[in-house]
Amino acid sequence: MPKPSELRSTLWDALTSLKLTIACMAALMVLVVACTLAQVRLGTFGAVDAYMHRWVVWWDVPGSPWSFPIFPGGALVGAVLAVNLFAAQLRRLELAWRKAGLWIVHAGLILLVAGEFVTGLYQVETRMAIQEGASANFVESPRQSELVVVDTTDPASDDVYGVPESLLARAGEIPIPGTPVTLRIHGYYPNAALSMRQASDPPAAATAGVGTSVAVRELPPVSRDEETNAPTALVEPIAGGRSYGTWLVSSLLGAPQGFTHEGRTYQLVVRPRRIYLPYTVTLKKFRHDVYPGTNIPKNFSSLVHLSNPSKGEERDVLIYMNQPLRYEGKAFYQASFGNNDTLSILQVVQNPGWLLPYVSCVLVTLGLLVHFAITLRRSMRRQAATRAAAAAPAAVEAST
Amino acid sequence: MNKTRLAFWGAALCALAGAAVMLVPQGKVRGFDVDAFGHLPVLEGGRVKPVDTVARNALLMIRSQQSFRHEGRTIGADEWLLDVLFRPEVADEQKAFVINDPQVLGLMHLQQTGDRYYAFKTLRPFVEEIQRQGEQAQQVDPKQRTPFQNAVANLYDRVFLYLRLENTVQLAQTPGLAWELASLGTPEAATRRAALSEAAYFRPFVSSAASTNDAWQSAGEALDAAARGRSSPQLVAWARMSLAYRAGDPASFDRAAAEALAAAGAAQPGLVAQSGHELVFNRAQPFYVGMVVYVLALLAVFVSWLWRPEWLRPAAYGLLVAGAVIHTAGLASRVVLQGRPPVTNLYSSAVFVGWGAVLLGAVLERIYRKGFGTAVAAAAGFASLIVAHHLTGDGDTMEMMRAVLDSNFWLGTHVVTITIGYSGTFLAGALAIAWTVRRHLLRGGGDPATSKAIMGMTYGVVCFALFFSFLGTVLGGIWADQSWGRFWGWDPKENGALLIVLWNAIILHARWGGYVRERGIMAMAILGNVITSLSWFGVNMLGVGLHSYGFMDKAFWALSAFIASQLAIMVFTVLPPRFWEAGAFSRAAKPSSAPAAGK
Repeated sequence: MPKPSELRSTLWDALTSLKLTIACMAALMVLVVACTLAQVRLGTFGAVDAYMHRWVVWWDVPGSPWSFPIFPGGALVGAVLAVNLFAAQLRRLELAWRKAGLWIVHAGLILLVAGEFVTGLYQVETRMAIQEGASANFVESPRQSELVVVDTTDPASDDVYGVPESLLARAGEIPIPGTPVTLRIHGYYPNAALSMRQASDPPAAATAGVGTSVAVRELPPVSRDEETNAPTALVEPIAGGRSYGTWLVSSLLGAPQGFTHEGRTYQLVVRPRRIYLPYTVTLKKFRHDVYPGTNIPKNFSSLVHLSNPSKGEERDVLIYMNQPLRYEGKAFYQASFGNNDTLSILQVVQNPGWLLPYVSCVLVTLGLLVHFAITLRRSMRRQAATRAAAAAPAAVEAST
Repeated sequence: MNKTRLAFWGAALCALAGAAVMLVPQGKVRGFDVDAFGHLPVLEGGRVKPVDTVARNALLMIRSQQSFRHEGRTIGADEWLLDVLFRPEVADEQKAFVINDPQVLGLMHLQQTGDRYYAFKTLRPFVEEIQRQGEQAQQVDPKQRTPFQNAVANLYDRVFLYLRLENTVQLAQTPGLAWELASLGTPEAATRRAALSEAAYFRPFVSSAASTNDAWQSAGEALDAAARGRSSPQLVAWARMSLAYRAGDPASFDRAAAEALAAAGAAQPGLVAQSGHELVFNRAQPFYVGMVVYVLALLAVFVSWLWRPEWLRPAAYGLLVAGAVIHTAGLASRVVLQGRPPVTNLYSSAVFVGWGAVLLGAVLERIYRKGFGTAVAAAAGFASLIVAHHLTGDGDTMEMMRAVLDSNFWLGTHVVTITIGYSGTFLAGALAIAWTVRRHLLRGGGDPATSKAIMGMTYGVVCFALFFSFLGTVLGGIWADQSWGRFWGWDPKENGALLIVLWNAIILHARWGGYVRERGIMAMAILGNVITSLSWFGVNMLGVGLHSYGFMDKAFWALSAFIASQLAIMVFTVLPPRFWEAGAFSRAAKPSSAPAAGK
């Protein structure tokens, strides 16, 4: 039985060893290759989630409910690598000018890994689609949906109550705050296909609304970048002890469905999850330029008006390729377009760690330059010394 | 002047003189001043270029060559285009189409023979069938197409291009542009003009309008303007060219071509000089000449190891430097012509990777003077130019940049640094291969001093490659953050770059830790070739991700063969000393014999 102090020193040895560094980098290479190949099958988002944003990579045994951990995930490898870098730095590298380059490099690398963790944990990607002339004061999540109960009684403004998908998945009863309505969830499908009900279909679970004539088929959730899920649920609104029937709600159903309770009209809609902003963005003009005589796009740009009454800000902003609008911790990028070039789609990214890679890049570049400069000088000196020493024999060899 | 200098300068100047010969114009063809025609500026693919570029690229796409033999004469691209434009009945007889797929030939009731080239006349009766099959094939996702579907879709594109060219200046079945100009008011003329505008492959007529969008007109549009009473002198000159060429009247043709050029220059000053520069660039073919010079340098090095090293080693170095000068001149011309940093697409990345490797190798040769720098640099330069040559098949290599790529700053920083990183990794791999070959061919594995020198070079180059690939990768991340809001998106191309960085870092750390020695580092450097080739070309074959600027599937087998060859070489690299001590050229094992090269 080793003594605790021995154990500690063994652990410290392992943690600071160069072998661990190399093993981590090799493991990262394996993960990167696996993640790249998996993108063909899973899409970028799915593959990154399965290999990089996990502590452990799981293998699902085909045709069974079991899965086994088979490889450390990107998060674990990254964390170990960062700790290893930090510890090795403390232990092995003496504080000397000739090691200055390596110090800077490793500090930069630790920052880079830290930045990736911050991004993985805190980055929120949303989108904002605006028609020319229209305004938006919210961004939408491209992957998450919500069920909203909208009180449309007042023609001037709607009161909106959102229920996120995660709550729908939990089933049971969900009271809608600010209203007398409680939703009882009878079923929830992360992805589904709808079709008109045929005579051969089983009886409809919905008892009210369009759902009575629609057949629902559950589908496995998708993760590929170009596909979207169609979340679908069966809900029963109850208000004042009275049931208003079971309704089928789905992102595939365009038209709103609603019921009236004590003179107030409520609508049920499934839509991409919205996050409201304290400011408004209005699209004044979208441009899609091509090179003359071709369809090759030359530029996309959106001229928007930014209006933030709380700060008294009113200004026009031109968002174009490689030139995002950074505002209030969010960055708005020109991402896509539609509707015959009248609809602009902006990618909206919130990432508190966005500056870290920039700092890290500067540090590592600087550090490598310093280090290689020092090494080169040393090797040049050595070279000169060897050449001086070898001058005589070399001359002999050349003359043979 | 001593022997070394004489050999160096003699070889370098000979090679440069050879390159200069390429600049001489081709002279008159059948009496016609074809060069003057090739000089005319036109707008195609969103870019102003000389007709010569259009002709070369079109012939390259259709026949995979820039000239061909017909009835005992070599027909250049410009002459071919003249026939296509003005004498379609003659062009239809020339074997301009290359068809390799036996099933596509079967579609046209043809049996495959030794001659892979076919005249449009042969294809004409089957144009509708080719269109039907081609359109059907193009609806299939490129990754899922059968070889037949690929071939027929490709042939359809080429036939379509050919037909558009035939109907760009004048409709193929009409008497010509002069007749069109004379019959502007007749009832069917407007319909014909609309057809011309629809078919036009390039726009030959320029006005003095400020924006590029309105300045250039197709023949149909220019005729429309003439019908409204605004005839352009260029239109008249082209009409006379057409008439003179058909009539076989070289004197009138030359005059008309000169007038067309003068009229274009009068509409927009600077145009004539610009297309003239590109014409010279096309004629010089610097990358082709560079390729030849690199091969000569390589041969000279090989021979120098066996015979007269005092002359041949400096001569080889001189050839390498001359090749590098030509290569650099070509690269610089592209930068000037395009107004962009040197790397804008897969083709130019190959040219640039080779350039970087050659320069690095030349520097190594200056430092170590063993001939290995020259050999490896020449081999790398030659190989990358060959790769580039095979990437030209898609047409114009100076195409316009798609919106998100339209940023000279990022193309100049991220793309250039990452490509230098590729160069470095490949050069390290090439050095390691040279080390392996030397070890197995020479008795006793060659002298240890040289082995050590190569080891030092490889180590230095890996450091260099790590620096540039890391910097390039992070700059790419910053570009990504600027343009779509994520620093790192695990996109396949980004992952490929990361693999190169990680691998170079592993090599260096393994060496620092003393876990691998000479053989191990050399083998790892060769695996660097595999990783770089995969991240350079391989990830484009996956068909996913945002870097879809160079999708390719044809090169799959070439890439697989390259990787297999590298893995095979690695096996030889790691073989322990007793396998190579004998040396391949010595019957009896004499490990203690003299270390001097192959006596």
